[in-house]
Amino acid sequence: MTIPPPTRSGPRERLRETARELVRFRGKTSRSTNLSLAILSFAILIALWTAISESGLVREIYMPSPLRVSVAMYTLFVDFNFLHDVSISIFRVMAAFALAAAMAIPLGIIMSSFRIFGAMQEPVIDLIRYLPVPALVPLTVIWLGIGETSKIALLWMGTFFQLILLIADGARRVPNEYVEICYTLGARSRQVLRWIILPAQLPTMVDNLRITLGWCWSYVIIAEIVAANEGIGHVIWISRRFGKTPEVLAGVLTIGIIGLASDQVIRYIHRRCFRYMS
Amino acid sequence: MAESTPFLEIDGVSKWFEDERGGPPTQVIDDISISIVKNDFVIFVGPSGCGKTTLMRICGGLESATLGEVRLDGEKVTGPDRKKGVVFQSYSSFPWLNVLKNVEFGLKFRTDVNKKQKREIARHYLDLVGLTDFENFYVSRISGGMRQRLAIARTLAADPDVLLMDEPFGALDAQNREFLQVQLLDIRHKEKKTIIFVTHDVEEAIFLGERIFVFSARPARILEEIVVADHLPKEHDLAVKETQDFFHLRNKLLAITRAEAQRTEEIFIEGATAES
Repeated sequence: MTIPPPTRSGPRERLRETARELVRFRGKTSRSTNLSLAILSFAILIALWTAISESGLVREIYMPSPLRVSVAMYTLFVDFNFLHDVSISIFRVMAAFALAAAMAIPLGIIMSSFRIFGAMQEPVIDLIRYLPVPALVPLTVIWLGIGETSKIALLWMGTFFQLILLIADGARRVPNEYVEICYTLGARSRQVLRWIILPAQLPTMVDNLRITLGWCWSYVIIAEIVAANEGIGHVIWISRRFGKTPEVLAGVLTIGIIGLASDQVIRYIHRRCFRYMS
Repeated sequence: MAESTPFLEIDGVSKWFEDERGGPPTQVIDDISISIVKNDFVIFVGPSGCGKTTLMRICGGLESATLGEVRLDGEKVTGPDRKKGVVFQSYSSFPWLNVLKNVEFGLKFRTDVNKKQKREIARHYLDLVGLTDFENFYVSRISGGMRQRLAIARTLAADPDVLLMDEPFGALDAQNREFLQVQLLDIRHKEKKTIIFVTHDVEEAIFLGERIFVFSARPARILEEIVVADHLPKEHDLAVKETQDFFHLRNKLLAITRAEAQRTEEIFIEGATAES
């Protein structure tokens, strides 16, 4: 027979309990509390924003109200085929990111596994990694013009060199015990890579992919602002030229929303696939 | 095979570790020779950092000897393979696999059995270590003691010639440790295997082992070889720990290892002052 937990007092008592946990050092809160607080802080942000722009303290050209921005976003999508620009940007990010990941994952693992590659590549990649991406825009334009290739190349450069080091680091952190156990079960090096190094670092890898995908989004805007005829960055830049601040903000917010959504999707996948970690 | 034919021979093994910063190499093992017959249960006991684990690793092909060699069934050990199974103290099982898959992993690289047989063998060893009810659990959901039993099952499933255990119960609490010691004797009763078991726990050594090699402080030499059957009844259970004979043997070993642990401390202090 299972004994039910002692009945807690009414909702008021529970609310007080939650409040205590919220301010306690490293307190514990439920998921619904977290969600309501997240919604609350968005609401506060929007309310503040509305208050500032409606009060007339700031001129509309600098800070249009949320309502104006929403209207601008609506017209962008309905009258100016903004969806096309959004898709173009998403395509650029996805293409460059997929290319970078497809190359960085195997190369990073090899780099961490064999010193001949690690000792040669690491210093070079470390140098390239610190080259600021905006500074590379002129180079990609000189090399590849202003077409799709040049943009994807820029995004690729921004993510590949970061990602390969993160992957190599993740592979290096796989406990040596796992590797040795695998060898003593009769595996060869290639099998150790496939059955130990890859699955053991997979959760870290997915986390790193999520983080670098975020960076990829900032680079696409840089690429599109400098030289592009379409894409979210292009729309933002054109709107600025015509002094349409609501459209600029609408474009920026669109990126934020796409970023948040893709981040949440990967987090969800992470939670689903790596349940064994909790 | 006659009982006295050596199965695993450690022949004049010495080991120096290179200093990564270019200093002089440190000797960790000094000319050790041990000969182990089939189905022997051998214990390496000695102070922490003395080199007993390194010697075990050389036997497993996980490290190479600077001088001398190890032969398994007449063949020189050159690297790790399925003949030498290991059980480590931590990271002993794979968290991304469930319990059954962990044991099956021990059979993954075997070509002498088919898929159906692999599952049967895995189930057999799960049953042997008493984890059948947990076969669908992930490693994070089972206790530390169960994880070590799982590691033993996986290693046995690979059917190694020799089982190398590096302080496998070192991270467990006292009750769990005793429970696993009894289980290990029980498992060994059912599955005859040649075992090298490394520990710094003297009681564990006496309770489990058939032959105990007591190691000196670094560089490791053999100070004493004890045949446990000369002191205690061959078949014994936990009650043996309360007997006078056990007590005497324990005190004898403790006296040696304490002195050696003291020497180990002194070696470290010397090293520290020499560096500064």
